[in-house]
Amino acid sequence: MKQSSTGRRFSLWSWVWFIIGTIYFLVPLYATVRHSLRMERDVIGFKAYESAFADNNFWETFLLSNMLAAATIIASIILIVPTAYWIRLRLPQARRITEFITLLPFVIPAIILVFGLIRIYSVPIGIPFTEIKLFQPLTTTHFGTYILITAGYMVLAMPYMYRSVDTGMRTVDIRTLTEAAQSLGAGWFTIIARVILPNIRSALLSGALLTFAIVVGEVTLASFLGVDAFGPYLFLLGQHRAYEPAALSFVTFLMTWLAMGLIQLVTGGQGQAAGSH
Amino acid sequence: MTYLSLSHINKQFGEAVVVEDFNLDIEKGEFVSFLGPSGCGKTTTLRMVAGFEIPTSGRIILGGADITDKAPNQRNVGMIFQAYALFPNMTVAQNIGFGLTIRKEPEAAVKERVNEMVSLINLEKHANKYPYQLSGGQQQRVALARALANRPQVLLLDEPLSALDAKIRVSLRAEIRAIQKRLGITAIFVTHDQEEALSISDRIVVMYEGRAEQVGTPFEIYNFPKTQLVANFVGSLNNADAEVLDPANGMLSMDGVQFKTADADMASRRKGEKVRISIRPERFSFAADPLKDNVVDCTIENITFLGSVVRIQVKVGNTKFNMDTFNNPFLELPAIGAKERVMFSKEAVLVLAGQTAEELATAAYHNR
Amino acid sequence: MAQTSLPLAPVKEPSEWKNWLGVSPFFLFAIMFIALPSLYLVQGSFFNQEGQFTLQNYLDLFTNPTIVSAYKLSIQISAATAFGGGVFGFLLAYAITIGGLPRGLRSLLITFSGVASNFAGVPLAFAFIATLGRRGFVTLFLKDALSLDIYRAGFDLYTFWGLCAIYMFFQFPLMVLIMVPALDGLKREWREAAENLGASGLQYWTRIAMPILLPSILGSMILLFGNAFGAYATAYALTGGRLGIVTIQIGAQIRGDVLHNPGLGYAMAMGMVIIMAVSLAFYSWLQKISERWLR
Repeated sequence: MKQSSTGRRFSLWSWVWFIIGTIYFLVPLYATVRHSLRMERDVIGFKAYESAFADNNFWETFLLSNMLAAATIIASIILIVPTAYWIRLRLPQARRITEFITLLPFVIPAIILVFGLIRIYSVPIGIPFTEIKLFQPLTTTHFGTYILITAGYMVLAMPYMYRSVDTGMRTVDIRTLTEAAQSLGAGWFTIIARVILPNIRSALLSGALLTFAIVVGEVTLASFLGVDAFGPYLFLLGQHRAYEPAALSFVTFLMTWLAMGLIQLVTGGQGQAAGSH
Repeated sequence: MTYLSLSHINKQFGEAVVVEDFNLDIEKGEFVSFLGPSGCGKTTTLRMVAGFEIPTSGRIILGGADITDKAPNQRNVGMIFQAYALFPNMTVAQNIGFGLTIRKEPEAAVKERVNEMVSLINLEKHANKYPYQLSGGQQQRVALARALANRPQVLLLDEPLSALDAKIRVSLRAEIRAIQKRLGITAIFVTHDQEEALSISDRIVVMYEGRAEQVGTPFEIYNFPKTQLVANFVGSLNNADAEVLDPANGMLSMDGVQFKTADADMASRRKGEKVRISIRPERFSFAADPLKDNVVDCTIENITFLGSVVRIQVKVGNTKFNMDTFNNPFLELPAIGAKERVMFSKEAVLVLAGQTAEELATAAYHNR
Repeated sequence: MAQTSLPLAPVKEPSEWKNWLGVSPFFLFAIMFIALPSLYLVQGSFFNQEGQFTLQNYLDLFTNPTIVSAYKLSIQISAATAFGGGVFGFLLAYAITIGGLPRGLRSLLITFSGVASNFAGVPLAFAFIATLGRRGFVTLFLKDALSLDIYRAGFDLYTFWGLCAIYMFFQFPLMVLIMVPALDGLKREWREAAENLGASGLQYWTRIAMPILLPSILGSMILLFGNAFGAYATAYALTGGRLGIVTIQIGAQIRGDVLHNPGLGYAMAMGMVIIMAVSLAFYSWLQKISERWLR
């Protein structure tokens, strides 16, 4: 039988699996959309969406989640970029332990993390074995809680952010760029801000988008720490309303799709997996 | 006695013709190289013999049997890939024994054959290692042993040395040739490196844009190239345009300088016809030799010391020629700018099919 | 002339410790927000209610019925979705790489896999309630079109099988994302060399391709296991805490000491961390092997 092993073979089974996969993906989405359009009896309409967007709480919690996401992203970049840079350039010995640290969030899921965070930071922070107290418990003030949850989000996002940044730096050969910049008289801050950061833009963008997706949908940290974020709001909505949750779920899906699509665009085809479960 | 015959092989990918009317008869035990630049169709032709591509038309006959349409796993030809293609999940011994294991040979026979092959390539100490533990050269030797273990009818080598360091390339190609000779196995070797082809082949097929330009022994290909393409690809060459002065005597004129050629087709040319001539750099000399027919004046333009060869650039008329002489530390070389006389025989002047500079320029003008 | 035989004191490079200074913010962060919380839990698990050091908490993990059934359920769900998601994800990844589907479908599936693996949590639970809940789209469709009442037949979205179905939604995309690069890593030459040596397609797959892919496949399934084991929000949004998996039990323990023994609660959390750590270790080890072969 004539066949060329260089060509792709037509396979019936490939189509079968693909179609099954598509059905599994699309049916729940379809069901959600369908449900969200039936708020008015016997009418297909967007009433559920209107109602959902008319709720002030939606906007407040959504805004808060966005701000927390922005804070997480900025703080993560400030923390991780110099660290990854330093390790590549000056401290390769620290690489193993740093990569180990960035794997820890996989071993310590959100529920465990929040358990520990609450226990530690609901008591005043002081210098051990002394009577000196430095901070009031973080959990007693709004601001303190926001700091705590941002730190928690940074931990959850760390593996993805670090890997993104590290890969970006590897592709760009920061050693040569740094030496070139130094020979032209640039100091450390200038190098990082004007030479390194712009060149790892796409890595930062994809890390930021992933962080955004994680934070906005996050429920575990937010509900246990008592933060009025979008996740807990959506959960509560589900207890009391029937159609609006479906509408907002679909909107969430579209936002996730947008974020992932942008990542694809920016990185050229590598999918990334993350998420709060 | 022809052992492997490729007749009127054509291969098209859609509109593109990749191999055009390729014909070749190979004797048993012969080592033939396909030589040419990238994209000339040499690898495609090899893959058609292996069965990974099917010819659009033409037939391939091996040992009397027509294998043109046979599946690749039924042909019993051994293939060596540029990227080694060793199975990473198997040891050296398991890789080598793979073909025999597939054919369900008894374990003892497999073991014996594997040991035989492992000592053939001198890797006894590494038989239980995995590919990632071996160097590139070692991996390629294992690939060779793996192909030979199956006792193939033909050995097909697809640029096997291109991925290796220069030194290893030289020693491994000699090793491959030695093994091939010892086993008496027919082999086709694809390469773009003319030194490789010249040094180890019985015959060379020079290919260009899907066609076989010339088939011959290394000596023939180098010294008697039939076309410009072949001459330019194999070894270096001085090219110039000249005008026919006297067809009967093979007299040419270039920039007013006259010299003779021994080219057989001269007699059929007209006076005044423009031809393209080529002379190998090592055919020039300064020595006074009554046998040399052509003695012309020149000026020394440049001298480059290349180690064992000294390349002297001379200007004859308005044309610069490269002249190669062997390095001799005690021989005084002429000074730059000096006027000298160079000599070359009329057999050294090749008149090859190919375009003169004028013709090339005209063609470019019309194609713009 | 007396020769000094004292060894010279090692010259301390001044920049050496300065380099460590550069990464200190990161380590400080890690200590404050990863190490300390974890250590608190570790430490807490070794103390009983009277404040004495004990290992009893860990022993009680195996005797306390709530905890035992929670671990059992979590392990069952994680194993089921890891295996199911792994197999199906692999088949899907195969379909879009070697399986011959058009290129456009490949990037579509990869994007969608990225979306789906991130779409977990509350919205996913709602989506499945709308699909397979008592009045869900598929439930009603099956009842009307095929006269099949799945709830009468014993299915319940709010139990084991329902949660499995939901988890699959983010498990098999994750598998796809990991396996596609691995399948791409199967060099074409291996197949050709195998054919050249006389192997059939099936022999190539059983002797070469599958063994090469196995570390990747196993490692990914283990990753999927850990992924499911640590999931909280989806299950909580679905059942409001009624489904007794480990994460939900821990959640209950955080809100109020339902076990009446804080140390036991910490031990339960540590048990989970140990399971996740072992999974991660196996995954890393298998990754290393597959990288060596698929480079």
